[in-house]
Amino acid sequence: MTAAESSPLTTHVLNTGDGVPAARMALSLHRLDSSMMIWNMLSVGTTNGDGRCSGLISRAAFTPGMYKLRFETGSYWESLGQNCFYPYVEVVFNINDPEQRFHLPLLMSRFSYSTYRGS
Amino acid sequence: MSVNRLHQLKSHILSDNKITAMTGSPSPLTTHVLNTAMGVPGSNMAINLYQHDHSTNAWSLITTGTTNDDGRCPGLITKQQFTSGVYKMRFDTAQYWASMGETCFYPYVEIVFFINDPGQNYHIPLLLSRFSYSTYRGS
Repeated sequence: MTAAESSPLTTHVLNTGDGVPAARMALSLHRLDSSMMIWNMLSVGTTNGDGRCSGLISRAAFTPGMYKLRFETGSYWESLGQNCFYPYVEVVFNINDPEQRFHLPLLMSRFSYSTYRGS
Repeated sequence: MSVNRLHQLKSHILSDNKITAMTGSPSPLTTHVLNTAMGVPGSNMAINLYQHDHSTNAWSLITTGTTNDDGRCPGLITKQQFTSGVYKMRFDTAQYWASMGETCFYPYVEIVFFINDPGQNYHIPLLLSRFSYSTYRGS
């Protein structure tokens, strides 16, 4: 995906326990198939050194619906030799107007996390 | 019967924590929903608690409840039921905001967590607005 076609949906994972971006965290994006009531995986990725993951979805694929971003928090903390209260974090959200941009950060520590619609 | 004993009995009978009344001990797992946009407890929100069944790789429903006026939901689980494992709390957030005539970015919030030491108490609050939420292991 070129810079001109950057994903309308972005994320940023921050390790608030250590005060650093959460690098090399696996994550995946899913969309709910409401007729079959199952989740379809759209993309899988790993955060870069800045805790970001480009190319989550193309504008063409970004249709209205219910989406889920799943972050493999348990594996991330395990790779740092620590345990985590949350085996994974799934953030489920509605996209009604896919013309907009959606930035969904995840701020997390071993025992807490928060997310919000940012910009 | 002493006045103290009468007060004890009264609190058992009037408690809306049925689990406490029956077993004498409150749920080792508690939650507290706060509507941070409006600065009020998140009351009348539907909550479900599930435990992961490793043999079937499915979630089994343990409790269904609704938060009270203080955003709490007593009696989520008994000490006996509370074994080590993976649990999930589901909060019906969109339904909650819809009951106030508003939309919510999140149709629901599911928090999945490990319980390794069921001898401890676990408090899992949810701080929520229409476009954000946070949770932590509290006390």
